[in-house]
Amino acid sequence: MRRARPLLGTIVEIEAKAAPTAPLQHAIDAAFEAVGRVHRLMSFHDEDSDVTRINRHASAEGVPVDAWTIRVLRRARTLFEATSGLFDCVVGFEMMQNGRLPSRGMNNVVPGTSRALEFLPGDRVRLSAPVAIDLGGIAKGFAVDRAIATLRGYGIHDAVVNAGGDMRVIGENPRTIHVRATDPESILWPTGTLQNGAIASSELTGTIVRAARPRSRSLEAARSGASAVYSVVAPNCLLADALTKVLVQTEQADHPCLAHFGAIGVITSVNRQECRTH
Amino acid sequence: MKWTPLLVQPAALLCMVPAHATVYLSVEQAQHAIFPGASFSPTNRSGVYRASSGGVVVIDRVLGKHEYIKYAVGITSRGTIKQVEILEYNESYGYEVREASWRAQFIGKSAASPLQLNKDIKNISGATLSSKHITDGVRRVLQMYQSSLRGG
Repeated sequence: MRRARPLLGTIVEIEAKAAPTAPLQHAIDAAFEAVGRVHRLMSFHDEDSDVTRINRHASAEGVPVDAWTIRVLRRARTLFEATSGLFDCVVGFEMMQNGRLPSRGMNNVVPGTSRALEFLPGDRVRLSAPVAIDLGGIAKGFAVDRAIATLRGYGIHDAVVNAGGDMRVIGENPRTIHVRATDPESILWPTGTLQNGAIASSELTGTIVRAARPRSRSLEAARSGASAVYSVVAPNCLLADALTKVLVQTEQADHPCLAHFGAIGVITSVNRQECRTH
Repeated sequence: MKWTPLLVQPAALLCMVPAHATVYLSVEQAQHAIFPGASFSPTNRSGVYRASSGGVVVIDRVLGKHEYIKYAVGITSRGTIKQVEILEYNESYGYEVREASWRAQFIGKSAASPLQLNKDIKNISGATLSSKHITDGVRRVLQMYQSSLRGG
């Protein structure tokens, strides 16, 4: 059974197989419900989300948030430390400044880093400065993981959850993962097969660059008329999603941060003649 | 976790994939997925069905990046959205990571005019754009519900 709903600013597709007696429909509904919960809690745009409440109020006082939000923020903080700041969820200032996110009257936000995040007792979060968080680079992966966990809870062991390219697969069947070239539209380039793991991809667009060393390959690729897609394969989708920021900024498929989390960097460059996976 | 990369794929070896429509649900299946156990009757508006348990299901379509996306909106008798289900989506193909494009965004760029992050490169993935159009469509459906369908 295969279903799709518009969530997390993209189209989320869930495909699951089970014995005929299993409550497949209920399981998929519940998995979408988990994704919807992440969407409601962690949307930057939604006025009632935990993220908006943190951005508006947490520099003044501790803001109580959902346990799921705490989990994602704690992982975000750990990833910030482990990647020496290449992954950083405190990018609200830059994202609003370049127009990728709406400011909605948040005119007093300053630039900063995840060091501003403080965890208080009772699932409360405080910001040590009036910075703004954006969980766009991690929440989608977490949502995919919650959907998979929900399906597993219903006894389903063969499934794919794909949130607009951030996906996780469980089961014994290896799935072929494609990159779509937009010119010509119809070409789908297989980049590899994935079994029991997650993959997420990122491009230069939408990445707030925190790397000290300037990038070179994207310019090189631009000159040769190719474009690159940076993907990370990881044991879970939160890691895959977040670690794409390391790969896209360093262009090192063998970056030690990836191995540290049991992840693999995959750089796919596509031009008219061929698709090359590094 | 097991990843097996396919290292080099020359275009000559690839077959072109035809336009591929994924059908997730029929209209009838969508009705029952949104209001389980209800029966449905058509209204004088095409694509609008009234559920015996109260509420309506509206079938609509919006343009995605290239193709129409057919979707269903379930609205409760109180006028709130119960569920949105995608019926047909032509741009999805199996297990596909984000698209790679290399045409428009790099034209005219050279080392002398370095790429401006987030300014020069505009690449909205099909799924992101489609999702935005569905969100707009759902809003339109709700307005239609409030102006003409409610109680009618």
